[in-house]
Amino acid sequence: MKERTKNIITLLLIGGMIFGLALWCVLKPADDTSEAERRPLAQMPEISIDTLLSGKFTSDFEEYTADQFPLREGFRSIKAYAAYYLLRQGDNNGVYIEDGFASKIEYPLNEDSLDRAAAVFKKVYDKYLAESSVYFSIIPDKNAFMAKQNGYPALDYDRLTDIMRENTPFMEYIPIDHLLELEDYYRTDTHWRQEKILDVASCIGEAMGADISGEYTQAVVDKPFYGVYCGQAALPLPAETMYYLMSDTLADCRVYDHETGKYMGVYDMEKAAGHDSYEIFLSGSKSLLTIENPNCNTGKELIVFRDSFGGSVIPLMLEGYSTVTVADIRYISSDVLGRFVDFHGQDALFLYSTLVLNNSVTLK
Amino acid sequence: MVFSGIPFLYYFLPWMLLTYFIAPKSLKNAVLLLASLIFYGWGEPKYLIFMVLAILQGYFFGLLIEKHRNTGRSRLYLTASVVLSLGLLCYCKYADFFIANFNAVTGLSLPLLNIALPIGISFYTFQIISYTVDVYRGMAAQRNLVDLAAYIAMFPQLIAGPIVRYSDIADSLVNRSHTISAAAEGARRFVLGLGKKVLIANTLGELCGLFKASDEKSVLFFWLYAAAYTMHIYFDFSGYSDMAIGLGRVLGFRFMENFNYPYISGSITEFWRRWHISLGSWFRDYLYIPLGGNRVTKWRWYLNIFIVWMSTGLWHGAAWNFAMWGLMFALLLVIEKQWLLKPLEKAGPVKHIYVMLTVMLSFVLFDAVNISDAAATVAALFGGGNYPAVSPEALYYLRSYGLILIIAAIGCTPLAAKAVKAIGQKETGKKVLSVAEPVFLALLLMVCTAYLVDGSFNPFLYFRF
Repeated sequence: MKERTKNIITLLLIGGMIFGLALWCVLKPADDTSEAERRPLAQMPEISIDTLLSGKFTSDFEEYTADQFPLREGFRSIKAYAAYYLLRQGDNNGVYIEDGFASKIEYPLNEDSLDRAAAVFKKVYDKYLAESSVYFSIIPDKNAFMAKQNGYPALDYDRLTDIMRENTPFMEYIPIDHLLELEDYYRTDTHWRQEKILDVASCIGEAMGADISGEYTQAVVDKPFYGVYCGQAALPLPAETMYYLMSDTLADCRVYDHETGKYMGVYDMEKAAGHDSYEIFLSGSKSLLTIENPNCNTGKELIVFRDSFGGSVIPLMLEGYSTVTVADIRYISSDVLGRFVDFHGQDALFLYSTLVLNNSVTLK
Repeated sequence: MVFSGIPFLYYFLPWMLLTYFIAPKSLKNAVLLLASLIFYGWGEPKYLIFMVLAILQGYFFGLLIEKHRNTGRSRLYLTASVVLSLGLLCYCKYADFFIANFNAVTGLSLPLLNIALPIGISFYTFQIISYTVDVYRGMAAQRNLVDLAAYIAMFPQLIAGPIVRYSDIADSLVNRSHTISAAAEGARRFVLGLGKKVLIANTLGELCGLFKASDEKSVLFFWLYAAAYTMHIYFDFSGYSDMAIGLGRVLGFRFMENFNYPYISGSITEFWRRWHISLGSWFRDYLYIPLGGNRVTKWRWYLNIFIVWMSTGLWHGAAWNFAMWGLMFALLLVIEKQWLLKPLEKAGPVKHIYVMLTVMLSFVLFDAVNISDAAATVAALFGGGNYPAVSPEALYYLRSYGLILIIAAIGCTPLAAKAVKAIGQKETGKKVLSVAEPVFLALLLMVCTAYLVDGSFNPFLYFRF
């Protein structure tokens, strides 16, 4: 082949890619959201003299071009393959895969964040819970069972627990980490499996003096479950089956959503069919819920301060309580909780994952 | 705008090239100038005014210097142009440095000006100075403002060099040809540079970021960082230079080479002949030689070297660690010239260890927040600071970035280029390369695009210069 032919092929391939994708960039309609990443995508920014001169337009435009690039998911997969398999990197954007389990590196231990979380809990305790029996439990994230064991940077979980316990002497600590193992978590998601944590719920219930034993049947979510790491890893991870536990009590419970002012069920089947099936549990991200259990006549009440892990374990505690209030102080400021919740000495449980404790800036 | 970004690659470049090649020959420089102004003004349009003023003064003083050549006025106009150029650079880049040091010495607290550094000002200032000095020395001034402005503002080399001298491209500015072979050569060089920048420099930059964010450092991690940063800065800067040279070739220009495998050098003297060649030769021709070079007394020669390397250091940034970085090389170059060069020639592999260790430590100083930070890092490399020898984190990152570091280390040598050349010398190899090379380049562009689409980590190091 002559040099000239090689040059022409070079120009056709490189020029074709650049000009072809450039044309596609201009003609392609903008997508609203990324299914894989579960987030809205940047849209074409507003052009004005102000945005141009301030540089806002250009920075927003750069974000827009990356978000709206043609075949974006395909390119993200190419990058993931190149990082994992070509350059042999241990993780891609922090996500790593070991024995079919995907997780995101959580490192280093942020002691300031732990102090901050404890300070927020103390504030809540002082303001609302001085009359209550208050409990605290830490949910280890998946990395506790797969990071250090496979040579990835890992939090010092013992140190994390010690710091939180030292900073929260006003709460009774309930250890649950000894009841958990890697198989209790979804392979492609951050969260634990509800059908695997009955022992965790029992342990917490027992420590709080509540009889939460119940008979459950296992039901299946129709939709294949692709956890949050499927999108982040940008690699073809196999779908999982999601189960949830049903009982007569759970079927009778009513959940009041303080945001919408409406009642709903413990399991949200509409959300189960949506982007993130894990939102089946107490409708996912909700700031304040009150669950009424008409089958419990003990009059026992509980308020749970929780993150997304709590959504799947709280239903398993309902047998022992007439009313359970569920607050997520990432979405509602603890300062205003008193306007919506009547604090009158009911038991309280702070149930947080290590992920939130180590990144507690979201706690209000 | 940076070359290694989607806005440049898929929004600016294709439409710019289309317009450029459609435009008649007489308008090509105007298209190039307009595109360069858009490119420059993209992120910080307010700084266009600085560049436009700098171009105008260079243009008019160039004409005046030529008109009054061989008279005292010519020297006066040259001085005025240089003072204006350096004055603008000093105001934008060094004002706060001077004020902060003045405050430190006098105990006063004069307020800082907090001026943001216009992108590329260090590069275009030096180009304008080289132009007016060359006109003073006898080169013909450019009478066409658009042509001169197209040279100074030319986007391929505007923000990161190479520092192209007007005399090198004066003919091409007026009369250049555009051929398929030049365009293919340019495209090839551009894509290789993009790969160096996006796949290697950015990835190693991530590792440096992880090191800096870590609370559990170890001696191994410090060495990993030092090695990663040394490779990062080379692939970042030389990758960008490759892209600039490649784009210039597509547009019909031939810019000077800026890097020639500096990490294979056997002495620091050789290193500086291979690293940032356009800057080194600029300082040689426009500062060192006018100061008298080495044809002066010994002490004056030392002073000349001190001035040149202090300037080189401060050119890279307005901070004492940059000055120290320059002075460190001044000292080493003097030592080598006086005593070390001949023994080094016979030193075998030891000379390469000496160069790499020195260069690595110099870049630790270069990357440091301040001199005490640099001292602490250097001490930690050699066991100071009570760090453990190894940490699990460092071992993980060594495993995770090990292959990239090996690829980078090989890429710092001419091994790959030699291998390709050797393959191409055989008839079968030539045929294989004819197909493999374009396919490899297309795949490389695709993977680079994938990295750009996926990642947000894409800072460009030389922006601050």
